[in-house]
Amino acid sequence: MIEFVNVSAAYDGETPVLRDVSLTVNDGDFVAFVGTNGAGKSTTMRLMNGLLKPSEGTVLIDGVPTSELRTSELARRVGFLFQNPDRQICCQTVREELMFGFAAQGRDDAEAARRVDEVIEQFGFDADAEPFLLNRGTRQLLALASIIVMRPPVIILDEPTTGLDFRECEKVMALVAQLHKEGTTVVMVCHDMEVVADYACRVVVMTQGRVVDDGPTFEVLRRADTLAQAHLVLPQILDVAQRLERELPACPSAIARAMTVDEMARAVEAAARKTGAGADADDAALSAATNKEGEAR
Amino acid sequence: MNGFLEYVPGDSFLHHMNPVAKLAAAFLLVIACFATSSFVVLALVIALDAFLALRCNMVRQTLGLARAVAAFSLLLALIAILFTPKGAVLVALPWGYIGTESIVAAVRIVVRLVACAVPLFLVFYVTKLTDMANAMCKVLHVPYKYAFTFTSTVRFIPVFMNDMAAIMEAQTARGVEFDGSFARKVRLMVPLCVPLLVSSVRKTNSAAIAAEVRGFNLRTRESGYKEYPLGGIDAAAVAASVVAVALGIAANVVGLL
Amino acid sequence: MIEITDFSFRYREGASPVVSDVNLRIPEGTFVGITGAAGSGKSTLTYAMNGIIPHCYPGDFYGSVRIDGLDTCEASLTDISRLVGSVCQDIDSQMVSSVVEDEVLYGLENFGVPREEVEPRLVEALNAMGIADLRHRSIAGLSGGQKQKVAIASVIALKPRVLMLDEPTAELDPASSEAVFQLLEAYVRQSGATVVVVEQKIALLSRYADLMLIVDAGRIRFSGTPAEVLAHADELLEIGVNCPRSTTLANRLRERGLYAGDVVRNVDGAVAAVKEVLA
Repeated sequence: MIEFVNVSAAYDGETPVLRDVSLTVNDGDFVAFVGTNGAGKSTTMRLMNGLLKPSEGTVLIDGVPTSELRTSELARRVGFLFQNPDRQICCQTVREELMFGFAAQGRDDAEAARRVDEVIEQFGFDADAEPFLLNRGTRQLLALASIIVMRPPVIILDEPTTGLDFRECEKVMALVAQLHKEGTTVVMVCHDMEVVADYACRVVVMTQGRVVDDGPTFEVLRRADTLAQAHLVLPQILDVAQRLERELPACPSAIARAMTVDEMARAVEAAARKTGAGADADDAALSAATNKEGEAR
Repeated sequence: MNGFLEYVPGDSFLHHMNPVAKLAAAFLLVIACFATSSFVVLALVIALDAFLALRCNMVRQTLGLARAVAAFSLLLALIAILFTPKGAVLVALPWGYIGTESIVAAVRIVVRLVACAVPLFLVFYVTKLTDMANAMCKVLHVPYKYAFTFTSTVRFIPVFMNDMAAIMEAQTARGVEFDGSFARKVRLMVPLCVPLLVSSVRKTNSAAIAAEVRGFNLRTRESGYKEYPLGGIDAAAVAASVVAVALGIAANVVGLL
Repeated sequence: MIEITDFSFRYREGASPVVSDVNLRIPEGTFVGITGAAGSGKSTLTYAMNGIIPHCYPGDFYGSVRIDGLDTCEASLTDISRLVGSVCQDIDSQMVSSVVEDEVLYGLENFGVPREEVEPRLVEALNAMGIADLRHRSIAGLSGGQKQKVAIASVIALKPRVLMLDEPTAELDPASSEAVFQLLEAYVRQSGATVVVVEQKIALLSRYADLMLIVDAGRIRFSGTPAEVLAHADELLEIGVNCPRSTTLANRLRERGLYAGDVVRNVDGAVAAVKEVLA
């Protein structure tokens, strides 16, 4: 669990980039931080694993202030994937790169070697390849692999999909979703709202160093004032749903509440059949069915 | 937030001086510091440094720089203490001794380096690099290619320092503990030069291409839009610096402390 | 404006060609969007259009690339640059100045723009990017979106006939990305220049581009208006290019026999399609 208690932060003692932020990330959460460039999202990530210490307030990891934890202790509890994998990768081979974290924390034993082999197998890496010669997407995967091989209970992702193409993005995010399913707490900063809507359970909206909204993804993305205040661009299906809700005289709630392409297609189909047949089918039953599917997802 | 050696906008007389005059005056002050062994002259230069830092509102950066230079020069001072046996014997060493004069020489090294470093660094904080390159071309007739190479080198210092800081941060997040002895820190940093080198090569390569597609090869001395006339204040500054050199040498001749 | 004939290119250190058999005609005043999976050769294709290939990267060059009739192999990179302005991917290393005004001046000075034209062109370029108020600001203190606009302004001040941008929104948030595309579109319409953008965000391309090129394994797999290209949604997915969700939604409705209208390429289209289905 990570807790922020009235946290402010500033670089070089100049104007604060984070003002009086209080929030809690619970074990097993999947939280996305959204907002414009410069809203303080990356600063919040740095505070979470103690790379940056708050100028006021406290950041607690499992009840212990980050200022009292050693670097290696912090790294063991919170894994951090940086936006640019080239900042992280520094070894001559893929295997060394995956061992690097263990070595830094003084845990490079047989158990570590076994886990590295496992990850190499899982990702299908060439263990002896030179990391800098791999392509961008594979380097990002390697950087992610070198974090998850350590099995930290929390992982922080700073724009994990920037610079990746669609397939690479899917691959990275599928892995992250799998980790979350297995119990890892995931915190990410992400500009791609489609990715946020697809994966995050909870969204924290930031502008100018403050948290302006925080809640379940689809509740937050339905609040018009939040969206406007933070200059957020809605995921397309949500945008379509909200527009239809406003513009259709009697918009079926299944359409207004659809979150994915499939849900929307089904809702529209049901509504069309209803109009087509002229039957007065129960709208509420339909929306209940769709909601159940939404939860299952 | 401004980085090391990055231009800080301002309106002081230093900002308005001709870039070439600024560089010339700074170099003359360096010469003055090295030509003299008089503490009085060095103290005068330091007083001048303080005045300049105040005028262009750079006191915090100047103090930081002075501290860094002092720390570095302590190393040289230590060598001077151990290996220049002069003056009355204070401590006997197997290969000589530490004398009163050795101590004085060591202090002089620290004061001299701090005194001469400040004006040089201030020049970069109060001068846009493009102005420096253009003025070097226009006033000193340095070929643009060399002027650009010089300023690009300076321009990339903060970029690479930021890169290195980001790389170290990424490794800290993986549990590398950089705090500790200097030797340990260096040992940990050496492998990080690989990612730094990779990103530097990429950056300089793309910078070179970007400059070329914006007509770098066409640029001549006449290209610059702005003119860099030498004004009264430039002449005064250079003259004052020449006086400083003369004072320094004169102080040596008369044996002023 | 851009004429590419039987073009193939293999980097000297590469085993096989990165781009092969490309034939392409781009008329003047077109907003062109290029996309494709990582490593598909889309960057190489743009390097060929702005002369960086063959002038900066050696390799085997087959066929010909002509910009406004100028053969890029015969002309010098500087001469090509008079026609084609390029904004590179790495904005920070492209900047040569510490202040916005100087950054825009740099190219104007180099290309010897007459003195009396310098000031108007500078103002015009800053206005076109909506950053007139940043003129005297230090570049180090700007946000990513502002820097990107400065980089574009410093190139359009040169009034190139073709403007090329390599992933201009990669580091930007959605609102700034949108702003950059709006400014580029306005620039195409007003100046009549040709703008070529390499971009991963297909939702942006499908809304703004006149001509979309999908590159796969070094070849142009699809080219046409966004609607024409997006009609091949399934094939696009196979080569690692996803469609905007609004397009996918309309396709699903089509599969269910509910919708038979045009290919949808944005939210407006999807809303209209659903209304049509329910009408």
